[in-house]
This record gives sequence, structure tokens and C-alpha cells, in this order.
Amino acid sequence: MQFFGGSEISPSPPAPTATGNNAHMMYVFNRNGVCLLYREWNRPLHTLNPQQDHKLMFGLLFSLKSLTAKMDPTSAEKGNLGVPQLPGQGCSFHSFRTNTYKLSFMESPSGIKIILVTHPRTGDLRESLKYIYNLYVEYVVKNPLYAPGTPIRCELFNTTLDQYVRSIA
Amino acid sequence: MGREVSESCVDSLLIEMVSTYCNRFYANKSELAARRIEAIGYQVGHQLSERYTMERPRFGDHLEAIKFICKDFWSELFKKQIDNLKTNHRGTFVLQDNRFRWLARLSIDQTSENEGASQDPSENKAMQAMSMYLYFPCGIIRGALSNLGIPCAVSADMSNLPACSFVVRIKA
Repeated sequence: MQFFGGSEISPSPPAPTATGNNAHMMYVFNRNGVCLLYREWNRPLHTLNPQQDHKLMFGLLFSLKSLTAKMDPTSAEKGNLGVPQLPGQGCSFHSFRTNTYKLSFMESPSGIKIILVTHPRTGDLRESLKYIYNLYVEYVVKNPLYAPGTPIRCELFNTTLDQYVRSIA
Repeated sequence: MGREVSESCVDSLLIEMVSTYCNRFYANKSELAARRIEAIGYQVGHQLSERYTMERPRFGDHLEAIKFICKDFWSELFKKQIDNLKTNHRGTFVLQDNRFRWLARLSIDQTSENEGASQDPSENKAMQAMSMYLYFPCGIIRGALSNLGIPCAVSADMSNLPACSFVVRIKA
């Protein structure tokens, strides 16, 4: 069970290290597959147009979650392959790594999925993703001018996010 | 003694209040919506000032009352004091808060860079939407002061967010 409590932004972010952006790109999806945010810092290769890219990413995560839950050797009760599960149900996969990048994933109980793509030698980013989720709550959900379910266009969120991602080791 | 309420609850309630009054009750009549919201703030400020001046002696003059608003009242509401107080000694006071708590997370939708000429109207709409959130605190200040025996008019100025100034004009 993951807890997302606390009114202050927690955990405190790690101290800033290198300059320049460490991450390639980031996606935020909501429960219905709407891409709320796509931010790109360092992506030399584009293979698909943005719509296809977002759809592919969402579909990939949906399938991966279903697959990892189905192949779980420890749990007795498993859903059928392809059946949508409630957020937090089943085993939660959190990252995969290739020789050129590492993709880290986090899903909140409300169905908000945060995906961060970084270089392959990045460590475990679960705490960082939780911090980013707290940033989302503070600057997007609590922004009086934001309508839930629409793409995020909040300056404060974007600047704080850029600043934080730059500081991830 | 005192019961506590989560700050997120209050924030969400205020957001929803403004949104309901502007979009549902008085859609397209923003003046009326603003007046209703300010009236709600007036009632709240009235009652809050009653509560927070329970054990204090009466205030000597207008300046004392304004200083009470800036220090004790503001700390009870927002956990900080007013950062800057200016007056013209003729009944006008300007209370400046450098980081107003209820507007700290407000940020405008970024308009795309292609819309050069149409950026002004959409920015005005955004400014208007933002200004609706200031009627409630203005009402609170007006209600608090009128309960202390000082009728006044309060307006707000938010030209540089997140700092925000409240202009209090005491009625002669």
C-alpha cells in the first residue's frame, strides 16, 4: 500500500548535483489515458508523432501492468490477462531498463501515472516520483484555475518541476 | 482549545465557492457574484474578529485596529503577519502581503506563442478570473474592521503575484 499523505511537500528533495538536465522526458497520464503533461528536455530521436507516441506509451504501461500482475509467482489470486485493475491492485512494476535509457513509473491511487525516462545508470527513482506527485498536488490540483482532466498548463508547476528534475542525481 | 481543519479542505472549499458563484449561480454576471462573495467574507470577518478580540481591551484609534489586523488577525488566519503597512494618515491604509497564502499556487494557463494579438484579451480574462479570488479576503477585512467600529471600503491589487496588497479606505 502506498501512502501519499502530508500537506508539506515531502520528502525533501536531494541536494542539487550536476548542471544540465539528467532526464530525457516525462509523461503524466490520468486514469482515462488523457496525456496531462509531456515534457521533453533531451530527446534527440523522435520516431512517432505526438498522438501516437502518447497512445503507445499508455498502452505499453497498461499491458505491462497486466502482464506483471499475471506472472506474479507469489500471489494466489490473479486477474485475467488484459482485465483492467484498480490502481494499486496487483503487483506494481516500477521501472524497466534498456541499454540506452531507463523508464521509471509510478501510479497513484487516483490513477495518475507519472513516467520519467532517464539515462540507464539512474538509481531507484521511486522517492523522486513521489516528490513529483506531491508537486502535482500542490501546484496543479490546488491551482484554482485548473480544471481536472485537462492538459496541465501551469507555469509554477513547470518551473518547479524543471528545477527538481535538474537536481535528480 | 480550538478545533482544527485541514488546510487543503479550506483551500478546496474556497476554490469551489468562487467557481460555483461565478459559473453557476451568477454566470455572466460577475459583478453580482463578486458582491455575494464579498458579503460572505464580510460575515466571516465579522465573526472572526469577535472571536480574536475576546480578551483584549478596546482599540484606541484606527491605527491600533489596523495594526491588530496586520499582526494578530493575519497570523491567526494565515500563520504570518502582513509584511508592509503604508498609510497616508488621512484614512487610507495599504496592507501588503508578499506571499498571500490563498494565491500562492495560482498560475495562469500559458497561451501559445503564436497568438500575438489575441494574447491581451485572454490575459485579461485570466486576470479577471484571478481577481475573483480576492473578493473573499477583502470581505473578511471589511467585516473585521466594521465589527471593531470602523466602517470602510476594501479593495485588492494583485499586479505582482504572489504579492498582494489590500487597500483600506476608512469612511469619514
